Amino acid sequence: MSPNDNFKRELNNAIDDVSGAPSSGLRDRVRAAVTEAQPERSTYWIAAVAACVITALIVGILYVNNPFRRPVGVVNPGATPSPSAAPSTQPTPSPSSTPSPTRTYICTADTVDQMNPKASPIAYISAARTGAHPDEGYDRFVIEFANGFPSEFAELTPRDGTSFTETASGQTIKLKGSNGILLRIHGADMHTSYSGQTDWVTGYKTLAQVRVLEDFEGVINIGLGVNGNGPVCYHAEYQPNPARLVVDVQAAT
Amino acid sequence: MSAALMEQRPQVLSRALEGDSDSFTRLIEPLLDPAYRLAAVMLADRTSAEDAVQEAAVKAWRKLRQFRGDATALRPWFLSIVANECRMLRRGRWWSVLKFPDVRESEPEAPETYTDLRRALLRLSPDERLPLVLHFYLDLPLDEVARTLGVSSSAAKSRIYRAAKRLRSDLTMEEVF
Repeated sequence: MSPNDNFKRELNNAIDDVSGAPSSGLRDRVRAAVTEAQPERSTYWIAAVAACVITALIVGILYVNNPFRRPVGVVNPGATPSPSAAPSTQPTPSPSSTPSPTRTYICTADTVDQMNPKASPIAYISAARTGAHPDEGYDRFVIEFANGFPSEFAELTPRDGTSFTETASGQTIKLKGSNGILLRIHGADMHTSYSGQTDWVTGYKTLAQVRVLEDFEGVINIGLGVNGNGPVCYHAEYQPNPARLVVDVQAAT
Repeated sequence: MSAALMEQRPQVLSRALEGDSDSFTRLIEPLLDPAYRLAAVMLADRTSAEDAVQEAAVKAWRKLRQFRGDATALRPWFLSIVANECRMLRRGRWWSVLKFPDVRESEPEAPETYTDLRRALLRLSPDERLPLVLHFYLDLPLDEVARTLGVSSSAAKSRIYRAAKRLRSDLTMEEVF
């Protein structure tokens, strides 16, 4: 028996142990539920009209009530007009777009969906920066890519405490803050087009520290140290123009 | 899946696409057991797994008009709906925040028995468990694993290998595939 067979057998035993067999009533439950449900009709035009109306309403409400609207012609010297490639340690407002009011924060491990155009084979990070948004209830970490989005997924894993393993040295390091998030980006590197800062001690209310833990063979591990006693919740997404990964860490309530 | 059903699947699929719910349930009944195993491992909760499979079946029925492909593409399509349903269930469960530290106490060490392997398996995130179930337990071909995960075959291979390595660090690529 090969090592693979042993591993597979043991793993399948473990999976059997976790899952058990489905109950005898599952088939009937599914059949009954499907019979009751109606298949979706071709109602795309209704959905499209509804989406247009809702969008118009939201845009109108945001236009009237937008707290971020600035008087025309006034230049804010503290704000960067467009996403900058220069890394920063100062708590400056993030140059990215205003977060969607419908955003959802999640507090468990999750992955970020891929986006086009995908870099091939590796997305080169060209800039990284932090930004404080205390009034909006989050702090932000942004990574920009020079040649498109990573072709593989990124994953975020909240964890208790701020101890992370720095892979190259094998040493455990403790970041500032009380809890953390491990951000792992697959299919990217941070040494081809980037030579800036790899450790940010921010002084922000929420995002206390960001530190690159690994940059090896197309996988980047980044530790985020977060202040607050509750669970760490975040919103992460890829955004285009320029291609970037945006991680917003929700302030503790 | 019975040979008779395999032969009739294109016709059964056509009838299901025309709105025949009996034909649809005939198509997915053979997939309920693998779907349940997948959900049970992702959620580590048997009751929730059955709920996820039921809800996924209803969503698949409602979205059947969006299904593109022949009857052979049904399995990865349905399993991907089940996996999405599991992710949604986990996000919707407020107590998952409290449960989280129970399965993330430390990095997995090399397990010696399947009981250790079970513990190590549950320490993985649900999205890391997913490719392991698809590849090792359900024996899906790599292209079906890739379609279920919504990634390329090479990315699927990479995910399987990475997850397997987290369970047993001395595994080589040749031992996994």
